[in-house]
Amino acid sequence: MKGRHHLALIAFGLIVAAALLGPLSVRWPHEAIDWNAVRVPPFSPHHLLGTDSVGRDLLARTLTGTRVTLAVAGAAAFVALAIGTAWGALAGWKGGRIDEAMMRVVDALYALPFMFVVILLMVVFGRSILLVFLGIGAVEWLTMACVVRGQVMAVKQRPFVLAAEAAGAPPLGIVIAHILPNIAGVAIAYLLLTSPQVVMVESFLSFLGLGVQEPLTSLGILVKEGADDMDIAPHALLLPGGMLVAILVSLTLAGERLRDRFAA
Amino acid sequence: MSVYAVDGLEVWRDDRAIVRGVSFAVDAGECVALVGGSGSGKSQTCLAPFGLSPLEPRGSARLDGRELIGLTERELRPLRGRDVGFVFQQPLTALTPHLKIGRQLAEAHGRRPSRGALAAMLERVGLDHADERLDQYPHRLSGGQRQRVLIAAAIAHRPKLLVADEPTSALDASLRHEILALLGRLRAEEGLALLLVSHDLAAVADHADRVVVLDRGEVAEAGPADAVLERPHSDYARALLAATPRITDPAPVLPAPGPLLIEARGVSVSFARAGWRRGRIDAVAEADIAIAEREAVALIGGSGSGKSTLGRAIARLGPIDHGEVRWRGDPLPPRARMTKAHRRLIQPVFQDPIASLDPRWRVSDIVGEPIRHLRPDLSSRQRADRVKAALQEVELPATLADSRPAELSGGQAQRVAIARALVADPAMLLLDEATSALDVLVASHILDLLARLQHERGLAILLITHELAVARALCHRVAVMDGGRIVEEGRAAEVISAPRHPVTQALVAASV
Repeated sequence: MKGRHHLALIAFGLIVAAALLGPLSVRWPHEAIDWNAVRVPPFSPHHLLGTDSVGRDLLARTLTGTRVTLAVAGAAAFVALAIGTAWGALAGWKGGRIDEAMMRVVDALYALPFMFVVILLMVVFGRSILLVFLGIGAVEWLTMACVVRGQVMAVKQRPFVLAAEAAGAPPLGIVIAHILPNIAGVAIAYLLLTSPQVVMVESFLSFLGLGVQEPLTSLGILVKEGADDMDIAPHALLLPGGMLVAILVSLTLAGERLRDRFAA
Repeated sequence: MSVYAVDGLEVWRDDRAIVRGVSFAVDAGECVALVGGSGSGKSQTCLAPFGLSPLEPRGSARLDGRELIGLTERELRPLRGRDVGFVFQQPLTALTPHLKIGRQLAEAHGRRPSRGALAAMLERVGLDHADERLDQYPHRLSGGQRQRVLIAAAIAHRPKLLVADEPTSALDASLRHEILALLGRLRAEEGLALLLVSHDLAAVADHADRVVVLDRGEVAEAGPADAVLERPHSDYARALLAATPRITDPAPVLPAPGPLLIEARGVSVSFARAGWRRGRIDAVAEADIAIAEREAVALIGGSGSGKSTLGRAIARLGPIDHGEVRWRGDPLPPRARMTKAHRRLIQPVFQDPIASLDPRWRVSDIVGEPIRHLRPDLSSRQRADRVKAALQEVELPATLADSRPAELSGGQAQRVAIARALVADPAMLLLDEATSALDVLVASHILDLLARLQHERGLAILLITHELAVARALCHRVAVMDGGRIVEEGRAAEVISAPRHPVTQALVAASV
């Protein structure tokens, strides 16, 4: 088991490194069109993994797409973690009326249709990739807040919290030093459960024209384009699809390893 | 022929035998007690042959002549449902909360019993209003009543053998007595063979025919209960017997109390009812208590009597509705306004030693936490020295300083908790069932440590316990609580020799 988790961590590290450095090392920029090589198969001259229907290098596009997808997922997960943890920890720790009020706010936001919120954001602030981060994070934090609140309420019952109060630790100090470290494992496990979902939402938004815009690309867009051509050029689907699967599997396994370490 | 015969039993974890060469036999209508401290392998000895443990049993264990070891899970399952019944330690969590008592009993019965048959099962274990109880949910029942229901469920299918793993450890003294008496009656009436597992030799020896004492996975001593109780020949059995505090022990030497230290008047605490129900439940009503310097006072009562709630209200570690607490004549501020100087005065030690230490912290950080907050005037060097001194004072090796709580035994963890309470030099300790979760031998060492600290440091103590004998070993005075009120208070020796209130009388009767 342990070995597999290490492998997952290494695999995820390699994917991140490829996403960061890869686009620099490929001869073709992701948006460049090679009119001499439209829809060529893998292992063609100049295009190691072939090109798409308008002659853009698939390797370059997959690497750039990975980079964009990881950035969106990472940033959205971070936003969800930051807001959700702060909100949930405060509600769970304070309890009583404050908790009631804070969780009703969460309920109200839950009730808003997600697409409506994102479209509204786009209309008001214009289209930008930053807004995609924020929009996804703004929705994912709600569930994170509920998870963290429940965990905080459970941990705050444990006697070591009372012992810390007797030891003169201030309330905020107790939350930071005792409670948050003890819920970190669950929060991280949940975060890694949501990251595949974030990746999906990102590609869905991009598909609707609300997310990442051409010529910039993401794995979601590439999978969609590949699916359109899958009967004549299966590699255009398999390449970004395989990358997506590799990200999700390695992320999940690496997350399990992290969670186990926090739980111990 | 014996109902259950174990011969040369071994239990293996990975490639190490944690139980070696254990042999005993239980006849119909007989009770054999398996006794040992934590880690002695007593639970594994009784669970592993029935496939109720992830560990691997070897050797021989015959139930009604049939060899259990080597059977597959498929073959063991019907055996467990037919010929054996099990009762475990935790009556509070062993019943499914959302099912009525009747449903759970019917499930244990296997076939479809009539309502009358179910009520008869409850009557068999001495539960009153049996018919009514069938429609109640577990939370309506007290700990002792739930343990009776669990026993009823364990014997519903009329097994030949009943395995009871620490059935009374979570119960207070008077309930312990009742449950053991019930098991004895069932054994006599129905010819049930009983295998009783306990850490408390003195408590079970009266109820068992024969005793097997286990020490680190091996039989230290075995024989008729009377003989082991009267003339133990192994050191381990002698230590176990000596470790049990009794109310008949000679009076302890206690330090002479000084002037009044803390005085609480008219303390009341109530909690909102759970769920949608309106109103509040009074946990403590108008309680008064006073403790002098160097004096130890025990709050005694069954579970739910309000003793912990009162103790925490006084130490400003729990809610309080009204009531005044004075420290050397000056009022103690409410919980939210306790200053660091106030927090230094009273330090707590709780029941569950492992849970009262943050699992993510190292021992040295845990012990150092109070002085980090309460003594910012000390340099980090001085603080490290004090942590070292505190660990030494509770007789813990300095090598444990870098360990985390999960690596500690129960006794070590409780010593860490005591070191944490001492490090900021408090004037008073709040000991909330500080020895109740530990096995007899470990508890007696902790009790010795507390007695030593009481003398050396001149500490005042508020001891919360359900055991009269523990209170007597440490305390000048006792206050008995029942239903949130202090029903009797007086000098420890007097309350024990001449109890006035029925609750106290029951406690004393159960502790003899």
